[in-house]
Amino acid sequence: MKRLAAVAALLGLAAVTACSGSTGDKPAAGGGSGSGGGLYTTIDGLKPGLDVNGPINPWNPKGNSFIGLNAMRLAWSKNHLTDPNQFYPGIAESWEIAPDNSSITLHLHPDNKWSDGKPVTAEDVKFSIALAYTQGSTAFAIDPGAAGAASEVEVVDDKTVKITQDMDNPSVTFVRGVMDSYIVPQHVWSSVLSADFWDKLKAARGEGAEAEKAREEITALSEKVLAFAPPKDVSAGPFTLERMNPSEALLVKNKNFYNAANVGPDQVKLLNYTGNEQIWNYLIAGKLDNAPFTAVPADVMKRISTTPGNGVVKGYSPVSLGMAFNQSKKPYDNVHVRRGLAYLINRDEITKIASPEGGTPAVTTTGIHQKPAAEWLGADLAALEPYKLDAAKAEEEFKKAGLKKDGGKWALPDGTPWKFTVNVPAPFSDWVSGAKAITSQLAEAGIDAEVVTTADYPLYLKELAEGKYDVGFWLIALGPAPYNIYQRLYGVSNGWSILGGKVKHAEPGKGGNWMGGPETIEVDGAKVNPGELTAQLNSASGDEQKKIIGQLAKAANQDLPVVQLWDYVNTQFVNTNRFTGFPENDSDLLRQPSGVWIQLGMVKKQ
Amino acid sequence: MFARRLAGHLARGLVMILVVTTVSFFVIRSVPGDPMAARYEKLVEQGMSPVAAQRAVEVLYGFAPTGGLWQQYVDYMSGLLRLDLGQSLMVPGVGVSTVLFSAAKWTVLPVLAGTLLSFLVGVVMGVYAAIRRSGRLGDVLAISGSLLHGVPQYVLALLLGAVFTTLLPILPTSGTADIMFEPGFNAGYIGSLIEYATLPVLTYALASYGGWILAMKSSVVTVLGDDFILAAELRGIKRGIVFRYVARNAILPLFTILALSLGMLFGGAIFIERIFNYPGLGLMLIDGINNRDYALMGGAFLLITVAIIVANIVADLFYTVIDPRVRSGEGAA
Repeated sequence: MKRLAAVAALLGLAAVTACSGSTGDKPAAGGGSGSGGGLYTTIDGLKPGLDVNGPINPWNPKGNSFIGLNAMRLAWSKNHLTDPNQFYPGIAESWEIAPDNSSITLHLHPDNKWSDGKPVTAEDVKFSIALAYTQGSTAFAIDPGAAGAASEVEVVDDKTVKITQDMDNPSVTFVRGVMDSYIVPQHVWSSVLSADFWDKLKAARGEGAEAEKAREEITALSEKVLAFAPPKDVSAGPFTLERMNPSEALLVKNKNFYNAANVGPDQVKLLNYTGNEQIWNYLIAGKLDNAPFTAVPADVMKRISTTPGNGVVKGYSPVSLGMAFNQSKKPYDNVHVRRGLAYLINRDEITKIASPEGGTPAVTTTGIHQKPAAEWLGADLAALEPYKLDAAKAEEEFKKAGLKKDGGKWALPDGTPWKFTVNVPAPFSDWVSGAKAITSQLAEAGIDAEVVTTADYPLYLKELAEGKYDVGFWLIALGPAPYNIYQRLYGVSNGWSILGGKVKHAEPGKGGNWMGGPETIEVDGAKVNPGELTAQLNSASGDEQKKIIGQLAKAANQDLPVVQLWDYVNTQFVNTNRFTGFPENDSDLLRQPSGVWIQLGMVKKQ
Repeated sequence: MFARRLAGHLARGLVMILVVTTVSFFVIRSVPGDPMAARYEKLVEQGMSPVAAQRAVEVLYGFAPTGGLWQQYVDYMSGLLRLDLGQSLMVPGVGVSTVLFSAAKWTVLPVLAGTLLSFLVGVVMGVYAAIRRSGRLGDVLAISGSLLHGVPQYVLALLLGAVFTTLLPILPTSGTADIMFEPGFNAGYIGSLIEYATLPVLTYALASYGGWILAMKSSVVTVLGDDFILAAELRGIKRGIVFRYVARNAILPLFTILALSLGMLFGGAIFIERIFNYPGLGLMLIDGINNRDYALMGGAFLLITVAIIVANIVADLFYTVIDPRVRSGEGAA
């Protein structure tokens, strides 16, 4: 027994000694490492957690390339309300876009170098574009007839690259597709691609068996590219990855970065997270200098705001939440039922309950976030039906649909009771709260309503796509590119797809058409094919684009494939105790991670 | 005799592994859900065009097993014979065995430390609780054991997490080590490892301490009533020697439980790892399930199964070594 006690005592002593030792030479929490610009602590909200096994590869979903820090794009898109083609410099210092969008000429920073001292050249860009072809991209697609694909990549000189769009099937998203490309060093990645890659690509663009074979060979390369693991980080970004453990990553300043003199922090520490509550804990503890948007309950928000230095920056987020109907199921095939429901939902109250910090109630249903909607539609926005809370109008609509009210409860036209069931994924607490608020509002109006939660998001999406739900929550308005916005309402989920440049529509319940909408709908008494109109947004520009958006907004407003509930707000957390210079409210940089703010020279040591 | 016993155990163990692997293979693949759709949604939400997002997701399908279910099963089993657990879908290009062993160390060390700590303290306290069972100390120890035994691991973890996040923020509540320390055999890094592991270890130790103290107390009380103890006392043997008789006999069944607990090392701390963001096998398994990474899930279940079977064999063989009655067949009579 004495031996047991001695062992226990020794273990305890060892633990205490070790703990005290560990705090003795530990750097100051979250900040000043004692040299230069200090240590900047954040999380990477774009990745599902850190993984020490992940390669330093920007295309790998668990890769340890962090956007804006050690992963660089040609340019960084601005969070513009309507124009997807506005950018801040990245690998490219400047660019010229042809007036008809047929080409873009990129000029690289003249003095930019990789972290190993070698210059960043136009050949690096061309090689990275070759890699992008294997991974899929709007601008670098091997599929024949893909809209907005490049037809030629030309190295003009050591620091200039010209990329030409295939004008047989152009898209306004071509430039954005080019600029979003990751650029990696050819001298590190050269083993991944064979020397005849561009010949293969040329062959793949043709037709027939040889072209098919070339496409297969390029597709087969995709796995090799995705799995490639450089032995060490060679970056043209402001930082390089120094080391990692399963819970943290340390990046150190790249002195060869073109704007290194203006990069504030000397080091960046990324913390791992597996759930929102860990981010809340980091914020409450004041550990983070910045954290991207996370759904936060009101009481947690209060605690976060009491931590010294913590603050919130808000801006536009091109995402809205819609309550989507499965029109293959009765009574949701009837537009009057959908409209009646829209009149019964108090969006102000729901947003206040479900997403008080991260959302604003939708002014109406247009399929577009209200901020760009005001830009695109102007005065026409006010002319759309706002679907304000109005029980009388709801009753009128339900009666038009043939629904009957019996004993204070609504029933279907054949007299069977109407059960309104809305499905939401259980892990999305704001969606669950919103759905519960909706069902309680509907119950007050005599509708037997219930919320059913699904275990997780992958299962939710699978069952949603299989048409198992009557009504479900669905993210919409994913801008700023107009085609991207409207394909959420009138794309694959509602039956429309583009094959070989032609628009096709699948029957409700088939070919991914879980929303079950018909091919044509009636808008202001005229038949409209919203899928065709959406597809036209790919190539339309200027006034034509504005006109189509006006038609689609009206179609969405009258036909209501979804009821737009709230528009998300980009809520970023910052702590000004250690660093300053964060973007202001409504900054067009808020959708970019803080690595981009740092590399542009904004963030400085306090 | 020993060799025949060992051979029998190994043969049964292999059959068990085969059965569990087969069952888990088909059960795992029947889990519904579409992780690719979830990834697609995430990419378009981040601003990627639908076409690019679709293509990026399709690339990942290249890492998924192909062919019909039976073909996949045959491929999986033949891979297992070559100790190839397949490719992870979650971390494309990385083998499942690499992911598993990378996570395993972060489970084994804290759970092993927690188990041994709770075993040592629980056994000592259990003996005292039995000897002083009619006194106040015995009552206090027994009640504390019962209370802790009844509190689920995740409740303890949440409580400790809440306390050390807000009221007493002196210990890290998330992670494995401070990245500012260079990994290696240096005081700073090792201290940081211990500092970060303290709460997971403490939670695990507290959660299992109750079981040990109650088991030891019960075992000691039983042995105290045995005839050979009465005989020893009547013969006037010294109290210390009698105590040794009691302790040695009472601890025997606990060694079996300890061996079995060690078998649970690989799968026994899912909640603790989730709450303290401690990246062991439990957390990896949750990620694997959320991402429907079949190969990773299969590998994790296989590892847990093998560990439990090996622990069972070791427990059985160990018992024959430490208890002469079992070795001579008396225990079975």
